[in-house]
Amino acid sequence: MTNKTLTSTVALALGLAGTAAFAQDPVTLTVWSIDGDDRPGISDTFSAEFNEQHDDIQIDYRIVAFDELVNETLRAYATGNAPDIVSFDNPDFALFSSRGAMLDITEMVENSDIINAENYYEGPMNSVMWDGKIYGIPKYTDTIGVFYNKDMFEAAGIEEPPQTWAQFEDYAERLTDPENNVYGATFSARAGEEGTFQFLPLIQMSGGSYEDVVTDGAVEALEMMKRMIDNGWASQDVLSLGQWDSTGTFNSGNAAMAISGPWEIDRMVEDAEFDWGVTLLPVFEEGDERSSALGGFNLGIMSTTEHPEEAFQVLEYYASQDDRMFPEFGNIPARSDIELPESGIALKDEALAVFQEQLQYAQPRGPHPDWQQISKAIYDGMQSALTGQMEPRAALEQAQASIDNIVE
Amino acid sequence: MLGSLRDGVGFDMLLIGASMLFLIALAGLPLIYNVMMSFQEVDMFTLGSLFRPFVGLENYREVLAEPIFWPVMINTLVFVVGSMAGQFVLGFSLAIFFAQKFPYSGTIRGLFLVSWVMPGLVVGAIWGWILAGDFGVLNVILRGIGVIDTNLFWKSDPALSLWAVIIANIWLGLAFNMLLLSVGLAAIPGDLYEAAELDGANAFQRFWTITLPMMRPTIGAVLALGLIGTLQQFDLFPALTEGGPANSSNVAQYLSWQYSFQLYDFAKGATVSVMMFVLVLFASIVYVRSTRHEVRG
Repeated sequence: MTNKTLTSTVALALGLAGTAAFAQDPVTLTVWSIDGDDRPGISDTFSAEFNEQHDDIQIDYRIVAFDELVNETLRAYATGNAPDIVSFDNPDFALFSSRGAMLDITEMVENSDIINAENYYEGPMNSVMWDGKIYGIPKYTDTIGVFYNKDMFEAAGIEEPPQTWAQFEDYAERLTDPENNVYGATFSARAGEEGTFQFLPLIQMSGGSYEDVVTDGAVEALEMMKRMIDNGWASQDVLSLGQWDSTGTFNSGNAAMAISGPWEIDRMVEDAEFDWGVTLLPVFEEGDERSSALGGFNLGIMSTTEHPEEAFQVLEYYASQDDRMFPEFGNIPARSDIELPESGIALKDEALAVFQEQLQYAQPRGPHPDWQQISKAIYDGMQSALTGQMEPRAALEQAQASIDNIVE
Repeated sequence: MLGSLRDGVGFDMLLIGASMLFLIALAGLPLIYNVMMSFQEVDMFTLGSLFRPFVGLENYREVLAEPIFWPVMINTLVFVVGSMAGQFVLGFSLAIFFAQKFPYSGTIRGLFLVSWVMPGLVVGAIWGWILAGDFGVLNVILRGIGVIDTNLFWKSDPALSLWAVIIANIWLGLAFNMLLLSVGLAAIPGDLYEAAELDGANAFQRFWTITLPMMRPTIGAVLALGLIGTLQQFDLFPALTEGGPANSSNVAQYLSWQYSFQLYDFAKGATVSVMMFVLVLFASIVYVRSTRHEVRG
């Protein structure tokens, strides 16, 4: 607010007040995102720049905590105080777009000179689509792969990173070293979205989908994960650790392989005192179709906005700055037309190249308006199998029954 | 009537009326809203409106039919009984210990209150580190004194996960129990003990025939508040286990939250909380009846 007043005062003082824009109050748009909490992020930085460049449109930016974003927006929407623009984690987007809470911007995108739907990777783009219409634009994206400790691989005489899940398990066994508190592998199988995020790709690469989770591959995968936990090749704590904490044990040299995503790279470059690399998620049989999880955020305009045109201009501005996203903020833009500049850190650049390849196989979770319930069915099933409470196939069949009820 | 407003019946009515209004507005209306919601079909986008399709007992039928419903209820019972027993027994022992006169007993007792002023999420995070499987402090200690020889995965073993939360919750509620029980102990006249000692009663007899009966109202209050506090305990669950693995540490209050704010099924969330409310109401009635007898006596 002070910023706005200041800008107009300065403008007036300079005698530039002749245009019509100054005769009326500028349009104020509310933008909600998680960026800018502890350090400058994408949305807060770009919004501040936008405000400096525009006098007729001003952004009122608000940081909302990740865990509160959906709840807060639901509440605001229910009471008629929804923001104009909001950014959601990609599986949450359909919850809003399918109920008419997001603005259909298909035509605006078609007529836009700046936003081109074809430039986006297919997975992220699918996550903003509902019923063939575009309800937002992908903001950034990420996915998962296998980080591996090259020093440990060398010491164990293993030359290649794992290509199949059988190899992954075999390596995990060979690399486990209880004397030195080293596990062969670490991943996240926790009771939450991260659990689904890491397990769903295995269902998908064995021919299944979130609507069809009982596949031979998924059963095999659960048996493998359970063997790894039971034999101590992976810590039992994978059942309660999130990806960030789980990969922490890799960074400290207590796990030889870790399944996680590019958000780990910066910390790993700093913390890991060994040579490491990244490889694509293994498959069941060589030559099988690949799959990976799709993470990342989307941006959308809420249907209750009074200024759709202006809000779209803001989206266009954000999109026009996408090429700065990686160098300045470390996030991967969801677009294939942007070349990421080299960082000069060899480990980082190599890892990034792998994740960019992996992104081509990344599939969005959903989109489905009841995604959270589907996700719970999947991670509950996974956990009952891994804790031995149910046989893997029975656990997946129970998850399937719940999913059938939700999807109908 | 108006004249008595300053002094008399009118004034009494005014005071009671004000607090009743306050109670109805802040506790009554949300409660009624919650009960209403449990009989309605609530879509997340109709959350703001008051009138929604009425579905009768459908929500209750669905919640009861969930395969995890009964395991969660049993977990809730274990959690409540385990936490309350631990908090009470340890709290009472500490209260008696610090009631003995030794140097700095008051100061040391004061230090115990640290746990009481800490937010549940912080306590959860700290206990999360203590109870961690591979590098947790508790495992190191237990291994050091030879109780275990392999690490226990407190948070990830379905047989232990609920106990991990119970242990943290006992620590969290310990100071509160100790404080209330200390006050009760301090209120027992010292000459009762002196007389009993002269009559030749030993320490155990003094505890059994003087301390316990004299403490009965305090114990009743502590247990009632303990029940409410334990059923309200929520922060430790997201901080420690998230109800996992495989719902082995899921309890009713966390399930209610999961329905409402993780699955956005607000009607089912309300349904579970109404069930819990009935339970607490029942416990309160038992408590009120038992203390009423005490007052008459």
